[in-house]
Amino acid sequence: MHFAIPKWAAPVLGVSLVTLALGAMAAEPIKVGLSGPFTGGSSPMGLSMRDGVRLATDEINKAGGVLGRKIQLIERDDEAKNERGVQVAQELINREKVVADVGFINTGVALAAQRFYEEAKIPVINNVATGSLITKQFLPPDYKDNYIFRTSANDGIQSHMIVEEAITKRHFKKVAILADSTNYGQLGREDLEKALAAKGIKPVAVEKFNIKDTDMTAQLLRAKEAGAQAILTYGIGPELAQIANGMAKLGWKVPMIGSWTLSMANFIDNAGANSNGARMPQTFIQEPNTPKRKAFIDAYLKAYHPANGRIPSPVSAAQGYDSMYLLAAAIKQAGSTNGPAIRAALENLKQPVDGVVTNYNKPYSHDNHEAITANIPVMGEVKDGHVVYAYEEDRKNPFHTK
Amino acid sequence: MDILMQLLMSGIALGMIYAVIAFGYQSTFATSGTLNFGQGEALMLGAMVGLSINGDVLGGPYTNYWLMIPLVLLFGALQGVVVEFIAVRPAIKSKSEFGWIMSTIALGIIFRNVAENIWGRDDMPFPSPLPTAPIHILDANVLPMELMVVVGALLMMLLVELFNRRSIYGKAVVATSSDRDAAGLMGINTGLVITFSYALSSMSAAFAGVLIAPITLTGASMGAVLGLKAFAVAIIGGLTSGLGVIVGGILLGIAETTTGFYLSTGYKDVPGLVLLLLVLAIKPSGLFGKTTIKKV
Amino acid sequence: MKAVRILGLLAIFVLLAILPRWIDNEYYVHQVVLIAIYAVLLFGLDIVVGYTGEVSLAHAGLFGIGAYAAGILNWKMGWPFYLAIPSSIFVTAAFGLLLALPALRVTGPYLAMVTLAFGTIAEILINEMDFLTNGPLGITIKKPALFGFILEEQHYYYVVVIVFLVAMLLVNRILKSHLGRAFEALRGSPVAADCMGVSVYRYKVFAFAISAGLAGLAGGMFTFNELYIAPNTFNFELTVLFLLALIMGGRKTRLGPVLGAAIVVLLPNVLNDIELFRYLAHIIAVGVALFVIRHVISGKRTFKPLVIPVVGAAALEWSAHKLQEMTDWRITIFGFLILFVVYYLQEGIIGWIRNVIGHYRPQWVGRALAIDKAGEGQVWAAPDHAVKKDGALLEARQILMQFGGLKALNQVDLAVTRGSIHGLIGPNGSGKSTMMNVLTGIYTPTEGSVVFNGSTISGDTPSAIALQGMARTFQNLQLFGEMTALENVLVGLHHTYKSNLADVMLNTPRYRREEAAARMRAASILRFVGLEAFMNEEARNLPYGRQRLLEIGRALGLNPALLLLDEPAAGLTSPEIKDLIEIIRKIREHGITVILIEHHMDVVMGISDVVSVLDFGQKISEGKPAAVQSDPKVIEAYLGGQAST
Repeated sequence: MHFAIPKWAAPVLGVSLVTLALGAMAAEPIKVGLSGPFTGGSSPMGLSMRDGVRLATDEINKAGGVLGRKIQLIERDDEAKNERGVQVAQELINREKVVADVGFINTGVALAAQRFYEEAKIPVINNVATGSLITKQFLPPDYKDNYIFRTSANDGIQSHMIVEEAITKRHFKKVAILADSTNYGQLGREDLEKALAAKGIKPVAVEKFNIKDTDMTAQLLRAKEAGAQAILTYGIGPELAQIANGMAKLGWKVPMIGSWTLSMANFIDNAGANSNGARMPQTFIQEPNTPKRKAFIDAYLKAYHPANGRIPSPVSAAQGYDSMYLLAAAIKQAGSTNGPAIRAALENLKQPVDGVVTNYNKPYSHDNHEAITANIPVMGEVKDGHVVYAYEEDRKNPFHTK
Repeated sequence: MDILMQLLMSGIALGMIYAVIAFGYQSTFATSGTLNFGQGEALMLGAMVGLSINGDVLGGPYTNYWLMIPLVLLFGALQGVVVEFIAVRPAIKSKSEFGWIMSTIALGIIFRNVAENIWGRDDMPFPSPLPTAPIHILDANVLPMELMVVVGALLMMLLVELFNRRSIYGKAVVATSSDRDAAGLMGINTGLVITFSYALSSMSAAFAGVLIAPITLTGASMGAVLGLKAFAVAIIGGLTSGLGVIVGGILLGIAETTTGFYLSTGYKDVPGLVLLLLVLAIKPSGLFGKTTIKKV
Repeated sequence: MKAVRILGLLAIFVLLAILPRWIDNEYYVHQVVLIAIYAVLLFGLDIVVGYTGEVSLAHAGLFGIGAYAAGILNWKMGWPFYLAIPSSIFVTAAFGLLLALPALRVTGPYLAMVTLAFGTIAEILINEMDFLTNGPLGITIKKPALFGFILEEQHYYYVVVIVFLVAMLLVNRILKSHLGRAFEALRGSPVAADCMGVSVYRYKVFAFAISAGLAGLAGGMFTFNELYIAPNTFNFELTVLFLLALIMGGRKTRLGPVLGAAIVVLLPNVLNDIELFRYLAHIIAVGVALFVIRHVISGKRTFKPLVIPVVGAAALEWSAHKLQEMTDWRITIFGFLILFVVYYLQEGIIGWIRNVIGHYRPQWVGRALAIDKAGEGQVWAAPDHAVKKDGALLEARQILMQFGGLKALNQVDLAVTRGSIHGLIGPNGSGKSTMMNVLTGIYTPTEGSVVFNGSTISGDTPSAIALQGMARTFQNLQLFGEMTALENVLVGLHHTYKSNLADVMLNTPRYRREEAAARMRAASILRFVGLEAFMNEEARNLPYGRQRLLEIGRALGLNPALLLLDEPAAGLTSPEIKDLIEIIRKIREHGITVILIEHHMDVVMGISDVVSVLDFGQKISEGKPAAVQSDPKVIEAYLGGQAST
């Protein structure tokens, strides 16, 4: 029976020896939390974001790290569930003792979990979630300092752009809103309605659909009967594809204009030809029109080999990548890993950070935690399986700064 | 285009999708009194394997859609045998009441996770074997694939019914369904019949998977919602009636599309469920289910 | 024994009191709070799943209703947590009542679907009713405050732990009381429960309401712990998770839910952390190795049962080494853990531990109170219902019972004289059991009426009829298998309790008095039917003949005026039959009228005063045993063919 003992003892010994050795050799790494949904429905965004962050981290570490220390990512799957997000936040803060967190795809998870970072005075950079409320949860006078930052285009910016596109540029008078029944879709719907109201327009139909719905006949018929000339969407890839396909089935084709998720591979692939012409605000389009973007795209494709040479969610990847660089810059400037110091540095970044999305020159201030302003995103359009610039002048003049 | 007609047609197409899956619940319940709560995952695996043979996800396409179907059916049957062997047989043997519920759910989530790791977490398009342009029937637009779902579903149920009535093996299945112990005493290998019913159940789910995949999307999580809706359909119709699932499916499908249009798209699942509660309040074993007389 | 228990409890209290200071990490404190909250919900789920034996898929929905009730009361009306949380108990219990209505008539998969539909509707309504629930945006609330003092996590911990302990105590009291036995009887045999005067409908509703109330309590506490609630939390996945937690932990125990809750709360963290997972894999490998060693030492030569554990542990070790990242395969590993529990720990982890301990536990540590003074005198109580002196005790008039085209009973009259033993015989399929079911209210006759003790009972529910003093046994035994012999009889004595839920929860003197009296009488009854040695044995483990006697004992618990015995001698050995005849005689001596269905002619003919004979649903003969025996019609019915001359 003696064979049973080494079988389990060896790995235990091994693991503890390795841990000891590592601890003795290098300076303690800087722990950064990386949380997002890596399983389930919104994981394509979560995984692209994770890969973007990993890419940036590897580059930073190869270049010697920050403050002479390596950055260590502590990755946790929040499963897009609010209560898991809360547990993850607490674990990262209290057990892993991270100095900052990047991530959050789902607005609901962010809203549920952020208060722990705020209380622990640990900065968070939201790199995908877009709910307008996210950066406004902890404002003065209730809270002295806000620890929540963002590198994505919030719903206010996006809905404004969508409405501009539909009403001002393309002169539609009657539009229908189709939004999913989640937090994401409904917050977006509210912002869309507000943006429309500012133009004095009331949507002719406001419809909901559930995640995994396979039949959109009822929603589309209602929009059609109301005489909609365009459909404004707030949802995620697969269901958006069902909308595009449903329109084809009903033999009714009006333009789709919606949030950035219309650029996701799972919309474009699943809707096939029906996705052509869909337009959406984009902070990043997979086109190497600046040296930084070319380097990023090449590095991403080399590291992760996505199918058809296309990043599943380019926006998530780019924003994730940039969020890590911003954080690293802040830690460097702060000269410490102390939460308030990092926050103060983020709010007053002295050196510009050359990012994929834009060149971040003083992206944040004490009272403004949005790195992306209304002039940065551009309109993208789906064309034959790829997202391209909807307007030629944007492609030629790709770089907007705050 | 007539709105009501369009809603009815879409409802029927949707309902028949539910009915095919619901059919799988019945076949195992009849013989063993157990249900495979991983039915949605059996459907998903069928669609995924079909896509791998017929699409380009794993280096294919290897054959066309029609030749792929028998392969998927074979795979479905094998998958059903695995479920029965791993999850159901030990539970039946130990007479544990909750065992099979737990183990079929567990296998379901394992299948889903494995599929996520093999095929990725994204939904993928399934190449349609028929033209994707809608055709005009009775003032409504219908996709050719939707017609095929209806035809395929009816055909499958017809074949199973013929098998049960005409062949000696089918009779063994029917006998086991009506009284497992007595059938056992008559020399029928009821264990084998139960295994067979699971094979049939997963086979029908896999078939449903490749039938509906060109209309819906193909992905590791495609089965979850469909599996639950189909469960509702099986219960509305009654777990013992083949006709029940068709009627139940169509009822639920039409309830969804029409309330979506006439009431509100947010509440579209509610009337179907309320209908279910009403049906069970009046007929506790479903619309067409046999009401058993209490014998003590 | 008692000292050990008190010391143990004291140790737990002290441990719980110093826990937050000891671990001093908000993350872990939050986990412990969540475990306690889930455990409260699982106590409730256990009432439905473990005791009444039905699968509920509505508990995430009920949990959500509780969470939202507290959330809305706090957010819209500004109620403090100490008012909002108790209110959510009542709101959710009311929804539990609503759920029980459609659930009453259905069982098995149908009931599972009803609860699933209810849970789904609850989730949709929470999501859609923006004006009340703020829709998918969720509700954010402020930290709970107690008279101006803000409760931080470590303070709120004490609130939750105290509620948890109180809930555990109260649930324990309820489930150990006559109410708990009533719930458990529903699972054992709903028909028998009804015929013991325990109304299936009533107690199913009751079980669902209490269960929902606990879910509401858990939900309310959840709201003030998370401080943000959104509808998508309370989905089907959570329901399944609750079910898994309960069954993994162990049904019908208080520790099981706690352990189950700990597993589902902690496991995702373990499975997210490759280091922790590796340690876990090693521990399991050691466990399996020990199992193998024990197996080999004990000299067993079959290696088949070793294959799966060894392969499983090896696979786990392999994956612990191979995987660099857990995220992708986490759910698969969770699935295999469930399968492991299903295969090897069918009664859940606590159930398994109990069995192991049970092996080594001395026999004298019983579940029952000491019952010394129990004598035969306790068996017979004054009749609950004054028996009217005039007319027959039971009169069935022109009973017609039709199933589809089949007339199982055709215009049958039956009159049973007070104080007699009335035999009812007939060939198989002649309608005897149908008659029994009509008399006891399980079937409502198509035509005709039954008058018992001066009032018409046909159309009443079985439990109402039972409570008027009619008890029965069953041809196909309908014992409450997982309950002990004593508990079976106690279900029969259910009608002697006047205590209500509050009495039970507060353990009032009235309840204690009634419980002590009932136990005494149950013990006496068991002694009377010769089962005192099997008092604490589960009914399903008794030998067949004893089970038949136990059914009689349970029926006597009802203190009936009329006792219907359906083939009591079937399967009994001849000495046992002798005892049985003696018991029936004694029952009659104490003034109880008996209807006896029996195939053993010597039994029927030996003790019956009057015998009625049924054939093909019709009464063909009636009279004194000797007269009936020589009736040509009877002989023809039994022997077939022509009447012998």
